[in-house]
Amino acid sequence: MEFNIKMANRALITGITGQDGAYLAKLLLEKGYEVFGTYRRSSTPNFWRLQYLDIYKAVNLLSAELNDSSSLIDAIQNSQPDEIYHLAAQSFPGASFEHPVSYGEITGLGLTRLLEAVRSINTKIRVYQASTIELFGQGDTKPLTEDAAFNPANPYAVAKLYAYWIANIYRAGYGIFICNGIMFNHESPLRSLEFVTRKISNAVARISLGLDSELQMGNIEARRDWGYAPEYVNAMWLMLQQKEPGDYIIATNEMHTVKDFLEQAFNIVGLDWSRYVKVDKKLLRPADVTFWQGDYARAKAALGWKPEVKFDRLVEIMVNEDVTRWRRWLNGETFPWDAYNYLP
Amino acid sequence: MAKQAIITGVTGQDGAYLARFLLDKGYTVYGTYRRLSTPNFWRLLYLDIFDKIYLIPADLIDSSSIFEAIEMCNPDEVYNLAAQSFVGASFEQPVASGIVTGLGVAMILEAIRQINPKIKFYQASTSELYGNGEAKQQSEETHFRPASPYAAAKLYAHWITRMYRETHGMFACNGILFNHESPIRGLEFVTRKITNSAAKIALGLEKELKLGNLEAKRDWGFAPEYVRAMWLMMQQEKPDDFVIATNKTHTVQEFAEKAFKRLGLDWEKYVSVDERFQRPLDVNFLQGDYSKAMATLGWQPETKFDRLIEIMADEDLGRWRRCLKGERFPWDAPNYPSENSIVTRMTTSRNRI
Repeated sequence: MEFNIKMANRALITGITGQDGAYLAKLLLEKGYEVFGTYRRSSTPNFWRLQYLDIYKAVNLLSAELNDSSSLIDAIQNSQPDEIYHLAAQSFPGASFEHPVSYGEITGLGLTRLLEAVRSINTKIRVYQASTIELFGQGDTKPLTEDAAFNPANPYAVAKLYAYWIANIYRAGYGIFICNGIMFNHESPLRSLEFVTRKISNAVARISLGLDSELQMGNIEARRDWGYAPEYVNAMWLMLQQKEPGDYIIATNEMHTVKDFLEQAFNIVGLDWSRYVKVDKKLLRPADVTFWQGDYARAKAALGWKPEVKFDRLVEIMVNEDVTRWRRWLNGETFPWDAYNYLP
Repeated sequence: MAKQAIITGVTGQDGAYLARFLLDKGYTVYGTYRRLSTPNFWRLLYLDIFDKIYLIPADLIDSSSIFEAIEMCNPDEVYNLAAQSFVGASFEQPVASGIVTGLGVAMILEAIRQINPKIKFYQASTSELYGNGEAKQQSEETHFRPASPYAAAKLYAHWITRMYRETHGMFACNGILFNHESPIRGLEFVTRKITNSAAKIALGLEKELKLGNLEAKRDWGFAPEYVRAMWLMMQQEKPDDFVIATNKTHTVQEFAEKAFKRLGLDWEKYVSVDERFQRPLDVNFLQGDYSKAMATLGWQPETKFDRLIEIMADEDLGRWRRCLKGERFPWDAPNYPSENSIVTRMTTSRNRI
């Protein structure tokens, strides 16, 4: 029998109910952490991802809001974390044009409130900030490194850029160990349904089972660098285990169009995408970013991180999972899941 | 018909000068202000324009007050000068600075988009956006590297302004103004703090002056010339972003040296460094490049560093002399005896690295 002298590490994950929050909670539990997570109360429960990964009972949930400083102070005091993973945000870029101010309030200022709480409670707490590829926006056509120029193209990205700099300012000004993980798109069967990958995998599953006959899409020429979320949360953890804090790009260094994703997804179920997909101009964003490719060289060198699941395998995982879910559902099984409540 | 303009933050240095400038151009001028328990109108009184403009109580944390002000005036131009504008204070109140200085701009742009997207919008952007980048001249193409909560909030505002221009087709300009000073600058700002103190020391009213980072280099211009650049940006065919600067940079120490010398004093005898006025993080070098503004707007600065110091030092000395003779006039300094009672983050050891 082994005795571990050190008490278990404690982590607080803001936004534990989202895709990354759930996968990260699972990873940290496997590493022996005691895991706390904040969530927003809602009139419909939003815990299906934690249930789906079978960790709902293993984590401690705290109700907190990013626009309420006192709730953040309480969450930190009640969890006494060694590490905070700040994943909570208004996170869907498309919707940020509809309510730009609240994106700034939550996605931008939320981090300032959180860091102020860290500063006043315990400046030794290490913090991970969920930064994003969206910071770069349009413009560059080279693979993006940590030194590329920012050029945000939607209110979500502007709020995330504000937060990126606040993280840097608190690191340099107050010596807080904080890292920006500049993550390129990362997907999984737990991705929410508004995001284009899951929208496609869910629709393909339904079409293949005769539940739908078409899929409306926006800009199918948009290019993205898509990775697999469970691997990306591992990078978050690695960043906080380093001697010095830093900012890292996490990506696959490969780029594919939305059209590639459609083609591949429909292929898996033996269908021709062009028969089912309709392009709807309403779904185009006012300023859509069309070219994004990452360069994760720094993360590979410093963290030893690299992506294993590439594009084809990712599409396969997502489509197969959604087909299986709809089959189980049609067979009368019930299980934690989002799609059956969602009619686009 | 006369053009109409709304100036948010009309009670500040730039707001007052811009109001006077627009009145001279024949505009009807509306200004928003925040209600305070002490009136904050001395600059408007000082420039003798208090009775010539319309004042609207509004606050950037209240979108309904902004919406109301714009709907009521239906202006041709909105100049957004209101902000929590002091870098030092933004370390003390980072969240409030983000709300007012950052999100306030998104609220105004949303209100304009909803009421009348033809209204032109000027955003008071700032050289603080450049922060701690390379020590070389900064133009519209230089990357931003904000180094304070104030600068991060202004960066948010800068990009949101560009976004409304690019995605909603609105006439929205960012004026990236480098430091601009005048006798009606707020007293916390280092230039005015120096000239006010030097004047008091020259008249025997004070013995010493405590400053923060003496090595910081800034590009200092004269505020009345800078508000003209704001107006020029709004008269162009297309909205754009412009750097407004003098292209010269000087240290805080040089400013202190020259201001004291102007009043016949040796700065070294009076000035000391107090860590209370250091910031957790400071910007060491700002020097602008106004080539684009010169080429497109035909703007260039007339008043340079030495002359600026003369104007400010002479004015503050004149004011204290008048005050000692018993004259009464609108002015801020007599109500601001010293900063000794102010406790900042830098005075508490917890925050030192």
